[in-house]
Amino acid sequence: MKKYMINFKSLLVLVVFVLTATACNDEFLDRSSEDGYTSDAFYSSDEQVAATTYGMYGRMWAPFYTKCFYALTELSSGNCWGNADGNEVIQFKLTADSYILSDPWRSCFGVVAQANSLINDLQKNAKSTVSPAVVKSTIAEAHFFRAISYFYLVRLFGPVPIIEDNLALAKDPYVNTNRVEDVYTFILNDLKYAEANLPVKIRSRTPGLTNVGVSQGSAEAFLAKVYLYQKDYANAKLMAEKVINSGEFGLLPKYSDLFLTSKNNNEESIYSWQWAGASVNEYQAGNFSNIQYGLDILNDRASYGATYVPTNDIQNAFEQNDLRRQESYMIYGDYYPNLKGDGKVGFLLDKALYPNVLDGTGAAVKKYVVGQETGETGAPDGWGGMSNCNYIMRYADVLLIHAEAIMGSAAETNDPVAKISFNKVRERAGLPALDVNTPITHKGLIHERRVEFAFEGDYWFDLGRIPRSEAIALISEQDRGADYEGVKHYTPVETDFIFPKPAIDVRKNPKLKEAPVPYVFK
Amino acid sequence: MKKLLSNLNHWKVDTISISLIFFLLTSSFVFAQTKIQGTVKDVSGMPLPGVNISVSGTKKTVSSDYDGKYSVEAPSDATLTFSEVGFTTRIIPVNGQTKINVILQISSEDLREVVVNIGYRTQKKKDLTGAVSTVKAKDFADTPQVSVDGLLQGRAAGVIVTNNSGQPGGSVSVKIRGITSLSGTNEPLYIVDGIPISGDATSRATGGTIVRGYVGGNSGSVATSPLNLINPNDIETMDILKDASATAIYGSRGANGVVIITTKSGKKGTGKLTYDTFLSTQNVTHLLKTMDLKQYAIQQNALANVYNVQPRSEFAVPDVLGAGTNWQDEIYKTAIMKSHQLSFSGAKDGNTYYLSGGYLDQEGIVVGSAFKRYNFDVKLESKVKDWLTMGANAAMGISDEDITLNGDSNGIISSTILSTPDVAVRNLDGTYAGPPKDGSQGSWINPVASALMNTNNLIKKSFSGNFYSTFRLAKGLEYRFDLGGSNIISDFEAFQPTYTWGVAVNKVNSLQKRSNSWYGLNVKNVISYKLATDSHKFSFLAGQEANDSHYHGNEQTIAGLLSNDIHSINLGDQNTLTASEYKGSSALYSFFGAFNYDFGDRYGLSLTMRADGSSNFAAENRWGYFPSYAGYWKLSNEPFMAGAKPYIDNIKIRLGYGESGNQNTTGTYNSNIRAIKSALGNFYTAANIANPDLKWETSEQTNLGLDFDLFNSKLAATIELYRKQSSGFLFALPLPSYITGLEGYQGGLEPPQVNLGSMRNQGIDATLTYTNKFTQDFSWNSTVIFTKNQNELMSLQGNFDLTKDAGVNGYTQKTVTKTIVGQAVGQFYGYETVGIIRTEEQLANAPIPFTGNKAVKSVLGDVEYVDQNKDGLIDEKDLTFIGNPHPDFTYGFNNTFKYKNFDFGIFLQGSQGNDVMNLTRRAATKNQKLYENQLAEAIDFWTVDNVNAKYPRPDGGDGHPNIAISDRYVEDGSILRVQEVKFAYSLPSDIISKAYLTKLRFYASVQNLYTFTKYTGYDPEVGSYNQDPLLAGIDSGRYPTNRTITFGMNVEF
Repeated sequence: MKKYMINFKSLLVLVVFVLTATACNDEFLDRSSEDGYTSDAFYSSDEQVAATTYGMYGRMWAPFYTKCFYALTELSSGNCWGNADGNEVIQFKLTADSYILSDPWRSCFGVVAQANSLINDLQKNAKSTVSPAVVKSTIAEAHFFRAISYFYLVRLFGPVPIIEDNLALAKDPYVNTNRVEDVYTFILNDLKYAEANLPVKIRSRTPGLTNVGVSQGSAEAFLAKVYLYQKDYANAKLMAEKVINSGEFGLLPKYSDLFLTSKNNNEESIYSWQWAGASVNEYQAGNFSNIQYGLDILNDRASYGATYVPTNDIQNAFEQNDLRRQESYMIYGDYYPNLKGDGKVGFLLDKALYPNVLDGTGAAVKKYVVGQETGETGAPDGWGGMSNCNYIMRYADVLLIHAEAIMGSAAETNDPVAKISFNKVRERAGLPALDVNTPITHKGLIHERRVEFAFEGDYWFDLGRIPRSEAIALISEQDRGADYEGVKHYTPVETDFIFPKPAIDVRKNPKLKEAPVPYVFK
Repeated sequence: MKKLLSNLNHWKVDTISISLIFFLLTSSFVFAQTKIQGTVKDVSGMPLPGVNISVSGTKKTVSSDYDGKYSVEAPSDATLTFSEVGFTTRIIPVNGQTKINVILQISSEDLREVVVNIGYRTQKKKDLTGAVSTVKAKDFADTPQVSVDGLLQGRAAGVIVTNNSGQPGGSVSVKIRGITSLSGTNEPLYIVDGIPISGDATSRATGGTIVRGYVGGNSGSVATSPLNLINPNDIETMDILKDASATAIYGSRGANGVVIITTKSGKKGTGKLTYDTFLSTQNVTHLLKTMDLKQYAIQQNALANVYNVQPRSEFAVPDVLGAGTNWQDEIYKTAIMKSHQLSFSGAKDGNTYYLSGGYLDQEGIVVGSAFKRYNFDVKLESKVKDWLTMGANAAMGISDEDITLNGDSNGIISSTILSTPDVAVRNLDGTYAGPPKDGSQGSWINPVASALMNTNNLIKKSFSGNFYSTFRLAKGLEYRFDLGGSNIISDFEAFQPTYTWGVAVNKVNSLQKRSNSWYGLNVKNVISYKLATDSHKFSFLAGQEANDSHYHGNEQTIAGLLSNDIHSINLGDQNTLTASEYKGSSALYSFFGAFNYDFGDRYGLSLTMRADGSSNFAAENRWGYFPSYAGYWKLSNEPFMAGAKPYIDNIKIRLGYGESGNQNTTGTYNSNIRAIKSALGNFYTAANIANPDLKWETSEQTNLGLDFDLFNSKLAATIELYRKQSSGFLFALPLPSYITGLEGYQGGLEPPQVNLGSMRNQGIDATLTYTNKFTQDFSWNSTVIFTKNQNELMSLQGNFDLTKDAGVNGYTQKTVTKTIVGQAVGQFYGYETVGIIRTEEQLANAPIPFTGNKAVKSVLGDVEYVDQNKDGLIDEKDLTFIGNPHPDFTYGFNNTFKYKNFDFGIFLQGSQGNDVMNLTRRAATKNQKLYENQLAEAIDFWTVDNVNAKYPRPDGGDGHPNIAISDRYVEDGSILRVQEVKFAYSLPSDIISKAYLTKLRFYASVQNLYTFTKYTGYDPEVGSYNQDPLLAGIDSGRYPTNRTITFGMNVEF
C-alpha cells in the first residue's frame, strides 16, 4: 500500500502537470485560414484592391460566355445553326431546366454579388495604406460591372430581382422580380455613377493592357446604348457624341485586324472580356470560341469543333464585296494567310482535302476563330481555350448607335451627321458609302448591325428591342435549318423574346414567375 | 528447466521451424510433470473452445482448441483452473489423473457476461443502460468483406448499411438510427482502438474530395471508404453506441452514433499462429436487356422517320444484321479476389501480443477497376509493475485502387448501356473503335476503352498508433494516459491518354495528380475509480482529451506528355503546368466525466457529461455541453421474481436520455477572400457569406430498452424504442443562385453555414436470438434483427425549400428530390403521370405543358401529367412528391446450424418499402437521340401505327416534357436478399493434432446469391450518391453489386 501512496503523490503531480500543460486556451482552438486571407485583413495595398475586379473583365463571365452566350444570342437570332445541340433554342422550345439558361443567370448574378460586396464594404474595409483614388475607381468599376450584368439579365430574362445587398438578402431571400423599367433605371444609375467616378483616359493606339481598364468613356458608351434601348434618343445621341468627340476610341482601320490576338485591347475596344490560354490553364479561363465556332482542323486540343455554324440566312445577308464576309464566316475556297490549320500556317479551306467539314450549312464561323497555335495566337489551355479577347462593346457600335439615335423612331433619316457615323462603318467594310440622297433606313440600319456584329452576341438583343411584329416577321422568314434538313422556318411568339427564368431558382422561389413589383430606390 | 522452456518459447517467436516447437512442447522429456489431456464442454455437451486452463503454482496457461480439447503438462499434485467468460470457473485437482474432462456451467448470474466498450471505459453488457449493439468477429467469420463498415449490414439492429457502389473499395453509407443531419455526412464516428476516424468518404472536413473525374467525361461517384484501410480480419468486436445516453460521452461527434472498433489482442495461453485465406470469384448478377443490332437498326430507322432525317443506308434491311456488340458483355468480367492473413498472438508473463499481416487483392467486375490492400498490425501490452501497465499498438494500411468512375449519368456504367451495337469494341487493326463519324457528338465514348485506357488510381497510406499507460494508484483507482496519432496520405493520379476512338478524339493527353495528407494527434488523461460493496457498486471517471488535426493537399495538372506510357509531371508541356494547394487545421478540446451506480444488481444509474470546445466555431459559440442520464431496472433480480428463475434468466428495462452534437463544418464563421486566376493575374473575391452565429448542432435522444433472456438463455431479445431530435443541424443555406451567383471557384459567394432546422427520427430496433441444441451433435442459432426508423423534418429556418439536383447528362441537372417540413428528407420530386395520351378526347382534356416561356400543346403520344393545381397547365407548380427513398423497415435473419464438425449458415437481409428513382432507365428509354442505344423495351414507342405503345412519342428537343422527372421512373426498391450461404467443415482435432494443428477449417460461401426484387435496374441497393442524404435512392448507373463465391481456409497452430 505504501508503494501505491508514493506513486500516487508523484502521479498527482504528473496529472496536474499534464492537465495544466494541455489546459485549454483559446489559442489552441483559434484556427484561422492557412491558405488565404480573411476580408478584414485583406485590403491593405493599392495592388490588392485593384486586383478585386480583374475577374469581371473576363473569367467570372466564363460560364455564360463559354457556350450559352452564343446559344442564346446567335442560335436564337437565326445567325447560327447548332450541329449537335441547340435545337430547342432554334425552334423556340427551350425549357426552364436548361443549363443554357442557368449558367448565364448565375454568371451575371455572381458579378452582381461581387460588385455589391465592393460597393458596400470596400470603403469600410480598405486600410489607410490604400490610396483613396484606387478605392474610388474600384467602386466605380463595380457599379459599371453591375450595370453590365443587369443589362444582360434584363435583356435575357426581362424582370429580375434588383439586388444591392446580398448579405441582407441571405436572411430573407424570397424576393419578387422588379419591373423592367426599374431595372433600366437601376442600370442607368450605375452607369452614371461609373461615368462620374471612373478615370478619364484616352485609349492608346497601340493595343495592350493599358487599354483594358474601363473609363468614363466606356460608361458613356454604354449609357448611349442603354438610352437607345430605352428609346431615349436624345440622351443616346448626347452620350454617343460625347464618346465620339472625346476621341478616346477609334475604328481600327482594317476590320480583319479586330480579331487578331495581337490586337487584343486595341483602340476600338470599349469593354472586352480578357481570356488566357496556356498561361492560366484552368477550365473556363480561356476563350472557347475557337472550339465552339472553329473547325476541328483549326484546333489543337478539342475534337468537336464548329458546334455552331452560320445559317444560310446570315450567309445571304452579306452584300457582295463586303470585306467582313470572309472575316465572319468561311466557305470552301477561302484562304487565310495567318491562320494555322491542319498543321500548316496559311489555311486554305479546300473541298478536296476536307470534303465533309461543312456538311451542316456549307460554312463555318471565322470570327473569333484564331486557329491552331502560332506565335500570334499563343498556346491553348488544356481544353483548347485561347487568349483572344471578345468584344462586349466596340467603337463601331457607338457609331451605329449615334446614327440610330439621330434617326429616332422614324423609318429613315437623311441626316448628314448620322450618315457620317454610319458610313464610317460601311466604308471600313469596303462597301460604298450612302450618298446624300440615299437615306439610312431603319431596316438597313438593323441589317448593318447584324452584319457588322455577326457572331459577336448582339443581334438577338437588337431583335428584342425593335417592334415585336417586325422582329417576328424577320425571324419567320429565316431559314433556320441545315442543308440536309431542307429549309426550316420557325416563328416565335411574343413571349419567346424573353427566356424563362432558370428552374433551379424558380423552384426555390416561385415568386420569380409572379408579376414584377416596383423597386424602391434608395 | 523452466528457463530452458521459456527460452524455447521466446525462440519460437523467431523461428520458422514450428514443427520443432511442437515436437519440443509435446515431447515427454520433461520428467517431473505429467501430461494431462481432456475436453471442455458446456452443460449441453457442446465443446468449448478458448477456455483458459492454468496450472496452480506456475504461470503456465493453455487454452482449449476448437473441439474443446486441451493438453497441458502439470505436476501430479497441482490443481487446474478452467475459466471462460460467461461460465463458472472450476478448479480441479490433478491427483495423478492424465485425463480430465470438464463440464463448465453457464454462470448463473448472466450467461452474456460480455464486456462492451462504451467509450473510455468498458462495462458488462448486463449492466448497460444505453442502446449498444455488438458485432463480434465470429459473426462475420467466413464473410469475404473488404471493408469493415460493410460488415455491419444486417447484423446490428438500428443500423442501416447500404453499399453506395459495388466498386472494389467503394464507399458504404452507415446510418445509425436514421439521418440526423443534412450537411454532408451522416456517417458515425469510428473509434479504432481509441483513435477517432471519420466515416466521411468525401473528406469534407479535411479539405475536400481527392478523387474527381475529368471535366466533361465519365465522372461519377468518387467517394471511397475511409475505412477500407482496415483489415476486417484484425477486428475483434465492434460496439455500436446508438442512443445519446451512450454517445454523449463523445459529445460533439456523437450525433450520428459511434462505432467503437476493438482490434484483436493476445489472449492468455500459448502463442497462436493463425493463417486465414480465401479465394473468391465475383460476377455481375444480371445484365440489362439492351437493343441488339437488329433492334437498334429498327429503332434508328423509326426515329429517323420521326425526326425527318435520312435513315442510315447500312440499316436499310435490319433483318440481315447480326447481334452486334453487347457492351455489357464487354465491360463485365469474372473477377478474382484473394486474401491472405497471418497472425500471431498470445500472452505470457504479463505480456500480451498480437501481430498480423494481411494482403487482399480484389479485381472489379468492371474492367479496369481493382483494389489491393496491405495491412500490418502490432499490438502489445505489458504489465510492467503491479501498478503499471503499458501498451502500444501500431497499424499500417496501404491500399491501391483503380477506380472506374461510375454512378453519374456519364459514368462507365451508364455509357455501357447507351453505347451502340453497330460499333465494335476494337477496329480490325486492334485499336479501339468509337462512335461513327456522322454520329451526333458526345453521346458516348467507347466504355471499354475509357475504362481500360484512362487511369484513375488512388493510393492511400495510413499509419496510426497509440501508446498508453495505466497506473493503479489504489484499489479501484486508476489513471490512464493515452497519446495517439494517425495519418492518411492519399495520392490520386488521373491520366487521360491521346486517343481516336471513332469520332471521339483526344489530341492531347493530360495528367492530374492530387495529394492529400491529414494527420491528427490525440491526447487523453482519464482517472477512474471503482468501488463495490455487497449491494452498492460505484464507478466514476473523469477525463480530458485534446485533438489536433492538420490537413494539406495539392494538385498539379499538366498536358501534352510525350507519350501515353509514362505518367510524370516531368514529361508534360511545362507551359500547361498548373498547381494549387489547400491547407488548414482544426482542434477539439474536451472534458468529460461519467458516473455509474448500481444497487443490489437491480437498480442502476448512469450519468455522463462532456464539454467540447471546437475550432470550427467563433469564440463565443465554441463550447458545447452534452449531458446524459440513464437508468435500468433488472426486474428479474427482484426477490418476487425468484419463482420465475427456471424460465426467466434476465429481464431488464432501460430508460435513457442524452444529448450529443455535430461540429462537422469547416471554419466559415470568418468572411474569407478567395484568389482566382485570370488573364489579368490573380483576382480576389469575397469567398463566402460569413455566419459568426454558427453553433453546435445538438441531438437529443430518448431511449427505452427492454432486454430479456428466457429458458436457460435459449431465447434472448432486445427491443428498443427511441426518439431522436436534432436541432440546429448544420447546413449550407440553400440560397437561390441570384444571391450567390456562381460556384465559389468561379467567383460566386459560398452560402453561409447555418443551423438550419430540426429533424426527428423515431423508431424501433429489435434483436431476437434463439439458440438451441437439439441433440448431442446438432445445434441451431438464429438471430433476427428488425429496424424501423421514421424520419421527419420538423422545422426549417425561413422555411427554405431544399431541392436537390442530379445530373441527367453531361451538362443538365434536374431536380430529383425535395425536402419539406413534415416529411422525411430527400423525397423524390417530379410530375405525377396520368398516362400516354392515346385518344383525341384525352388530348382535348389534357392540361397543357408550360415548362418554357409559353404553353406548348401536347399531341397524341405525349405523356399526360397530373395537373395538381387544376389551372389547366403543367408547370413547376404541378411538381409533387413521387416517391420515398426510405424503407419502412429493414431486417436481417441469420441462421447457423452445426452438425458435428459441419457448420451451415444462411443469412437473409432485406429492406421493405423504399423507392428508387431509376435514372438509368430514363436515359435508356428516352428515344431522344440518334446514335445512342437504348433498352430493348424502348422500341415500343408511340407512333400512329403503334398507339398502344409503352413509351411516349420521341421528341428531339426538350420541348415537350415527356421525359421530365416523373413517377414513370420511380420503382419499388424493396428487396429480400440471400446475402450469404455458407458451409464450413472443421477437421476433428484428433486428426489434425497429428499435424500439430489446433484448428483446420475449410469453408465455402456465396454472397448475394439471389435477390428478390421488382426493381428493373441492376440492383435497388443504390445507397446515396457520394453519401449525400438528399440524393439517396437515385440510380444514375451505379456500379452493380456482384455475386461472390468464396473458398476459404483457417489454419491455427
